[in-house]
Amino acid sequence: MSVKQCPVNDTLTRLQQSSEGIELQHPRSRRIVGQMATLVRDVATGSAGDEHLPTLDALIEELAGFAPDPAGVALGRELRDVLAAHREVFDSHVKTHICASGRCDVLTPAPCQMACPAGIDVPTYVALIGEGRDAEAIEVIRRDNPFPWVCGLVCTRPCEFMCVRGRIDTPVSIKSLKAFAAERALSQGCYVNPKPAAPKNRKVCVIGAGPGGMSAAYYLAMMGYTVRVIEALPVAGGMMMVGIPRYRLPREVIDREVAMIEDLGVTFSFNTRFGSDVTVQSLRDDGFEAFFISIGAHDSFKLGIPGENDFPQALQAIDFLKNVALGDRRQPGKRVVVIGGGNVAIDAARTSLRLGCSEVTLAYRRTRDEMPADIEEIEQAEEEGVEFAFLTVPVSLEGSDGHLSGVQCLRAELVELPGAKRKSPRPVEGSEFIMPADAVISAIGQRVDQKGLEELKELTWTRRDTIQVHNATMSTDMPGVFAAGDAVTGPATVVEAIGGGKRAAQAIDRYLNHIPQPNMPPVPVRRQRVGWTEVPAATKMALKRPHLPLLNMDRRRTTFQQVELGLSENMVREEARRCLRCDICRRCGLCVSICRDKMGVDALQLGYFDFDHPVVTDFRKTQERCILCGACATNCPNNAMQMEDRNGERILHLCGTILNRQPLLYCEVCGATLGPARYRDYVLKRTRAISPPTDGHNICEACARKANVLGAHRTMPID
Amino acid sequence: MPLRKGQKIEVFRRSDDEAWEDYMDAFIGCHGIITDPDTSINDPDALVEVSLEGRGTHRLPQDCMRLLDDQP
Repeated sequence: MSVKQCPVNDTLTRLQQSSEGIELQHPRSRRIVGQMATLVRDVATGSAGDEHLPTLDALIEELAGFAPDPAGVALGRELRDVLAAHREVFDSHVKTHICASGRCDVLTPAPCQMACPAGIDVPTYVALIGEGRDAEAIEVIRRDNPFPWVCGLVCTRPCEFMCVRGRIDTPVSIKSLKAFAAERALSQGCYVNPKPAAPKNRKVCVIGAGPGGMSAAYYLAMMGYTVRVIEALPVAGGMMMVGIPRYRLPREVIDREVAMIEDLGVTFSFNTRFGSDVTVQSLRDDGFEAFFISIGAHDSFKLGIPGENDFPQALQAIDFLKNVALGDRRQPGKRVVVIGGGNVAIDAARTSLRLGCSEVTLAYRRTRDEMPADIEEIEQAEEEGVEFAFLTVPVSLEGSDGHLSGVQCLRAELVELPGAKRKSPRPVEGSEFIMPADAVISAIGQRVDQKGLEELKELTWTRRDTIQVHNATMSTDMPGVFAAGDAVTGPATVVEAIGGGKRAAQAIDRYLNHIPQPNMPPVPVRRQRVGWTEVPAATKMALKRPHLPLLNMDRRRTTFQQVELGLSENMVREEARRCLRCDICRRCGLCVSICRDKMGVDALQLGYFDFDHPVVTDFRKTQERCILCGACATNCPNNAMQMEDRNGERILHLCGTILNRQPLLYCEVCGATLGPARYRDYVLKRTRAISPPTDGHNICEACARKANVLGAHRTMPID
Repeated sequence: MPLRKGQKIEVFRRSDDEAWEDYMDAFIGCHGIITDPDTSINDPDALVEVSLEGRGTHRLPQDCMRLLDDQP
């Protein structure tokens, strides 16, 4: 059996060929194969129920055991092997409505949904937001991510990087749409938890109340488990609360999202350190059967230079940001030097400005091009007045009597070292200079603080000093202990921690119920099918990604108010219409090749189909050349391309984008629909030699033939 | 060359890093986009987040990937 297609579609093709051919000799075998084809068709289109696969198994056994038809027996055995080899793909079709093989005509997930580490059904919620159904959109999002509002403000948005619209112009503002819907749903009181499962009276302990820990807690509570979250800090949120500054993520957002989790019955124990206040043994004695570790990476790398430990004004960025988040709004100094080039360094610099520091300089040992921080963060920091000192290497901290007065630095030059992929900074001898400073904040990387985990002796650590896990399940080498988030990946993103927490919750449920674990991370789940919105091609092309309005500069420099102000409702509804609905159109390209190669019309300029080499796309071009023959629509495997007659017009649309509409012609004699003029001309041109003449009238072939016969009778009388 | 968000890469070989798992062998040959490089110090040894076409988003070691512009 070919494996070019998804195995479910392959199986369907095989069954259809068998039932239509002469392979099967006995009517009973044919009947069984017909029934199997019906079931597999449902599986292929994502409309199968829980009983489909068990019924299919039974029919396969019946076919394989029906001795009077040896061809049927062979077919039955072949199908049995296919199902055994590709069971996960069949299961995925039934349970998630998404094909795990990546080759499916119908159920391949949209690139945005595949890219999301939490697997959110992006096309569905974007479509719902476009229709003004914000509460429903949030309900869809929270099935895979309990923090839509947080992610709407701070997500690194892998979905937008993979957004197919980005191959035409710019990606859809998926993140901002999510933020809008969350705010709107909350303000209207529609942001509610789903109903959890019945209590199982089994206890799971989560260590760490960051995004990973709280996601795991949420999904475990939804499954009916009793969850307790242990947190060393006095507040929930982890790095969301103490690492991300308030001007990017207001505290109210985190508090409201945490409150939703508490509403599910999850209990939080703050100021409680695992390993000292509680131990794994004491928790086991309390009846906890599984553990999820998500302690983050709150420790910092040291500069390792003289003077670093001699001055209280020498701070670690992680500690500095944490203290500010917990309420310490004192200036670290008047002239602050931040050492580092990443996002945390930028956060520390912008926070220092907002605390009222007169001069804030960021010292980085390489050039701007090598700075690892996000370009938007760098630009916003520059706009706010942060100074940058590039090719600057700190050598020592200077001061006296416990007061810092400056940073001794060397200028650097970038040199290529043998075997290294990038240039390295080499201090230039004799280039020493002092940067005046009364506070230095070091931001050169984070690490996991392993304190408290010593008693978990079976826990394995990687060479990066992170917890070793199996990525499919987030399980550690210690039975019953799972981990996710920065403690596993190193410093990473909020949405990755959320995805890891959700995966771990599913794995903990399997562990506690002795169900085998998967070998691969799960595929995302299609939550709903939402119809498309009709948009004319010109509008589809003209709509542009909106610019996110920002707070005015004075407030940015002096307060911790949220800098990004969000999109207006009008912007959001328009922006959602830019979506290409890749959950429906799989970009197989069949429509383009049929139009160009079979029909010779070449009316579809859909250059965005190709990931590696997208070329120009213009939906408006179709109107110029398309003859509305319907060949593209007839051959579309997903009904993404559709043609219909409506109100005297024939309309061709691709997932709602109206590519062409032409008035219909009707037979002058009987009123039958002739199609649009262009299509009629196309057909007549090719059939002129064999079609009855119409003398320029709009007459259908049947009427033309009748008229021709009558005419022939008059011109050739019967003697 | 430091990796940046939005750069297109290819997973061109199996990594020697301990972070590589068997199911990742299916990623060899896949193309994708860097979605979260190391935003602290651009450590060439750090795991980076990549979104692979049709395969989802994963955090992979850097020795298995190359920039698509660098291909011969």
